[in-house]
Amino acid sequence: MMANTDMIYLDWNNSFNILRKAHKASLFVLIIGPKGTGKTSLVRKFTSDLHKELHSVNFSLRTRESHLVGSKTMNQGEISFVEGILIKSMKNGGILYLDELNAAEADVLLRLDEALDDRRQIILKEAEGQVIKASQDWFVIATINPLSHAGTKELPPQILSRFPVRIRLDYPPKDIEMQIVKNHVSVTTLEERELERAFKLANGLREAASLEELYYSPSLRESIAFAKLIREGVTAKEAAEVIYANVYEQWGEVEYRKVMDMITSIFAS
Amino acid sequence: MSVDYKQRFVMRNDVLINIGTFLARRWSGNPNTIVTLKDGAIPFVNIQNFTISLPSLNYYLGTEFQKYRQWRAALWYESMRIAYSTKVLSYDLAFGFILNTLESKRIEILGLGEWEGMENEVIFNEGISWLSRPLLNALYGKQKIIEAFSQYLLTGYIKGELFGGELERVHKAVDFANAVVKDALYNNRSTDWIEQQVPQIVKLLQINPLITIPLIAPRSRIGLSLSQSDLMKQVERIVKTKNKEKDGQIVKSIVDGAQLLKEFESLARESKRSESKGYASLEEFGLSAPDSLAVDERAIYDNDLITRLKAAVRYWKSGWIEMHDERGDDLDTDAVLESQPKPFFTDFKLSVKTKVALLLDHSSSIEDEEIEYKKATIALCESLKFLGVSFAVYAFSTKERKVKCWIIKRPEEKWSSINARNLAQIKASGGTPLAEIYNLLLPVMKMFRPDILITLTDGEPADYGAVRSAVTSYKMMGIRMVGIGLGKNVNSAVNIGQNLKGLEFEKTLAVSRLQDIPRKVLSLLQI
Repeated sequence: MMANTDMIYLDWNNSFNILRKAHKASLFVLIIGPKGTGKTSLVRKFTSDLHKELHSVNFSLRTRESHLVGSKTMNQGEISFVEGILIKSMKNGGILYLDELNAAEADVLLRLDEALDDRRQIILKEAEGQVIKASQDWFVIATINPLSHAGTKELPPQILSRFPVRIRLDYPPKDIEMQIVKNHVSVTTLEERELERAFKLANGLREAASLEELYYSPSLRESIAFAKLIREGVTAKEAAEVIYANVYEQWGEVEYRKVMDMITSIFAS
Repeated sequence: MSVDYKQRFVMRNDVLINIGTFLARRWSGNPNTIVTLKDGAIPFVNIQNFTISLPSLNYYLGTEFQKYRQWRAALWYESMRIAYSTKVLSYDLAFGFILNTLESKRIEILGLGEWEGMENEVIFNEGISWLSRPLLNALYGKQKIIEAFSQYLLTGYIKGELFGGELERVHKAVDFANAVVKDALYNNRSTDWIEQQVPQIVKLLQINPLITIPLIAPRSRIGLSLSQSDLMKQVERIVKTKNKEKDGQIVKSIVDGAQLLKEFESLARESKRSESKGYASLEEFGLSAPDSLAVDERAIYDNDLITRLKAAVRYWKSGWIEMHDERGDDLDTDAVLESQPKPFFTDFKLSVKTKVALLLDHSSSIEDEEIEYKKATIALCESLKFLGVSFAVYAFSTKERKVKCWIIKRPEEKWSSINARNLAQIKASGGTPLAEIYNLLLPVMKMFRPDILITLTDGEPADYGAVRSAVTSYKMMGIRMVGIGLGKNVNSAVNIGQNLKGLEFEKTLAVSRLQDIPRKVLSLLQI
């Protein structure tokens, strides 16, 4: 997939710059941060600026080795080997984006580790021991969510060491969050005020989640969704309820009511 | 149904503390804020240690719902003090009373700028608390002047009459106080600066700054009765003062408080659930629920220990761990690695699905190290929560010459600061009547059916034979019985461990360093 060159990314904590320098030095990069902090947007923008092809894998417990490496398949009576995304990117020399790497199973990580070491090669036991050597400009960026995120595991040290450059991407300060939202939705001054209140709510919920008082932490996506709904004429209080509060109902009525109380306190009737 | 909740329902204090702590932390912007309940005491905040102390709902007038709204408003005011004030003085003396009153006005204005949705609740609170404010004619001397100053500054009018010189003094003092608050808001001045202006107010009121102010609780009003029409009139008056454009519908909506009714109903349902399935039902079995909510649990939280322990068990969450397993003289590492499908990944199964019951000895023998013991057990509970283990915690001690088995955490409850607070208030005392405790717990254990019951004790039960028989009956229920002996040093720990062995426990362990308790217990969950 060729990334869209028109996309806007606000480099509020110098991540983009570091990423560019790491790329020049051929140092693989690990981006660490909670969901919805713009990790994928950063990678997409970076790739688009380089005019490179982006090969993305979104890891989950269901991601198998064969998704990465490839597998044999029968085509018109002939058995052939269909390359997985890892092999394709190594050969083509694009950017390999390993999203939510710490959701991957151990055997998948092990196979990946083989390709990421200094030799930058992998032996395809699935294809008669063929040795695939990565192109000179092959580059890998991985992201991980904090361990509190459901389904995530700690990366083993040998995998971590393949990514010597580690960028932390947290939720941005309010003014930056405002700019990010404005990059996606144009808002009036009045709506901007409501957005500020929504950020206050989101930050309160993020803090509560970090203290394990709540089980979910809203991301930048929710802030953008809030802006879009109020643009569509939904009142701020109503938008806050559907975007921020309703999700907590799954952890019980009291959890939901706690969030609703915050909404009641922040937004005037 | 909503009428029932509004009129008759009794909110449980633990439910109140739970939501109160959540809200206070968000409102104050301080994640370390805690809320305690003290019957009959006025709302107060200790800004230095972020502790908000509130009375229980019965302190307030009105229906249960109206009481909750007033309690919540008081919580908001105290949270605003944490957010914006640097000092809160005692309300007992005139000087502190005046400073706190000025600050109430300032923090309310600042707070409403941030929490716009609180405006209706502030109006409601002002309206309903006005009804329980004393009539000035019923007060005498300096107290009358100070109460008049407070009424006039906070609401713009006074209840009752003031004559001649007194009225003039109050007017002048309030004019000055308003100017002080305005200046503080405009120039972003601190509490210390406001405090420096208080002597001038004292001078204008012509009072002694050290005179004692008797505190008047809403319930102490003579001829107490709360008329809803009086409330409506009062709220209408405040609405008019604050914003003349608001109509009658707004007044009704403020009095009804529809925006909070569902929250109250939800908390009431939660209280009812706790009542029927929780502590109350366990109390029927003879167990006791710690009932003091004016306890600061932070003293038994050792965050370093908790972090270290979580770090030690975090790989349980990951499901696998890297282990370098090299031993023997002639180990050919390459050959071993070659022979393994996953050379550096070893499956490490841990039974985090185990249901655990913990029984904590709080007899007098642990008195000397009570805090350290509690810190260790808190760290253990935090780790069990972190791992998602289903667990219940009980403790026993002697109170007023009676053996008590305390419910620290029910099995179906989520571990929270409320449970830590339960533990914090158990005082170590008395002997170790283990058999009696096991018999008390038996019906509860039959319901919970834990896979393992871990008893932490000094290992010197008063009734050896009876303990052996109780342990056997638990084992027959399929519960794995484990005893952990707590000793002051290695020798005593080993001796206690030996004693426990004679009590039919399936497994006995000994601990001489209290910090080792969590690791020992967690190691029991490993297959």
